[in-house]
Amino acid sequence: MGALVIRKLLYWMPFLFGIGFIAPLTAQTMAYWQIDAPLGLSRIGFGLLFGGLWGLYANIRGRWI
Amino acid sequence: MDRPLDDLTREEAEDYALPGDAGLIEGGVEGAAAERSAFEWRHAPQLDKHVRVNLRLQEREVAEKFMADPKHMRIYTVLTLGCFGLWLAMFPLTMMQIIPIWPCFLFATFIAAVGYIPSHEAMHRNIGRPGTKYHFWNELVGQVATLILIFPFSMARLMHMHHHYHCNDPVMDPDYTDGASGPIMAWVKTWLNRQPGADGSIHHYKRCLERIGTPEAQVALRDTMLLQLGSMGFLFALAWSGYAFVACFLFWLPRHLGLSYIRYWLSWAPHHPRDGLDRYTNTRVFRTWVGHWLSLGMQYHIVHHLYPGIPNHATKYAYYEMKPILEQRGVDCSPL
Repeated sequence: MGALVIRKLLYWMPFLFGIGFIAPLTAQTMAYWQIDAPLGLSRIGFGLLFGGLWGLYANIRGRWI
Repeated sequence: MDRPLDDLTREEAEDYALPGDAGLIEGGVEGAAAERSAFEWRHAPQLDKHVRVNLRLQEREVAEKFMADPKHMRIYTVLTLGCFGLWLAMFPLTMMQIIPIWPCFLFATFIAAVGYIPSHEAMHRNIGRPGTKYHFWNELVGQVATLILIFPFSMARLMHMHHHYHCNDPVMDPDYTDGASGPIMAWVKTWLNRQPGADGSIHHYKRCLERIGTPEAQVALRDTMLLQLGSMGFLFALAWSGYAFVACFLFWLPRHLGLSYIRYWLSWAPHHPRDGLDRYTNTRVFRTWVGHWLSLGMQYHIVHHLYPGIPNHATKYAYYEMKPILEQRGVDCSPL
């Protein structure tokens, strides 16, 4: 059971990486350069959208670019 | 001496009947790989058995002089543990803005790229043989040296031993996926192989471990998955706590740069074009403008494959003393 959960987590790792790492990194980079998020979103909201979609793309396509 | 000096092919092992690691070499490498290959495999010239034995004895005499001495290997332990401790200390120091992040990034990248060397010595138990007082340090160095790469020692050692036993075999050599047509493609491939859906790097290692299926392989597979999850958890926690730059520049980016550097210099460069299957053709001697240190001593990688007990810092000296013998065995020593 534990092994199955770990395998599932690793399978979805690109998506998790998108929301777990890329999202806050994006938000903090925007804050560092004083860039506002578009469409009235907060920086972390934009980061989650950007990171989540990118991670999902990587999950589906099997590559980040 | 409690270890065989060198790696032997099955045919050569029959000449010498050495016990130990040589007995672990599995058969079928030449036949199976050659049948699957689309090109002709390169082999060392066939020499008369008497000449072969004579040359091997000379080779071993040279090798014995350079074998790892645990007392001289302490520097690997000191540097590895020191660098690891310093790297760990950099996390709170940069988070509290006591030191700037950019020199820490350079240092982390350096240890990510170079840390594989002491780990590699530990894989071959060159820092301390089992049953000696140095063995604990050997294992400790192995465990910590590649943590920054998210590369557990159990998996690294098993895969590296398989690389030695099945060097250049398209199916059995875990590093075969690093092959590329030229240097630029080799750098690109280091990155492509790490993509989530690629069959290279750690993904390939995991598949190799599943195929091997022994208890050791299962432990290595478990260690790999736990370390991957633990490391990701650590990165995510840092990033969501407001320290995404620290996570990025002290761990994530150095890891990727280090992995590419290692894959290029330790796998692609010394084995290109991966068309040789025996002990004198499965590596190449090469010259590079970056020099001995930046290429991590890999120009003399043939010495390592012949005698893994010779530590990395000594392969250069062993090579030059062994060179006339290697030339007689058909090795192209012209670059150096």
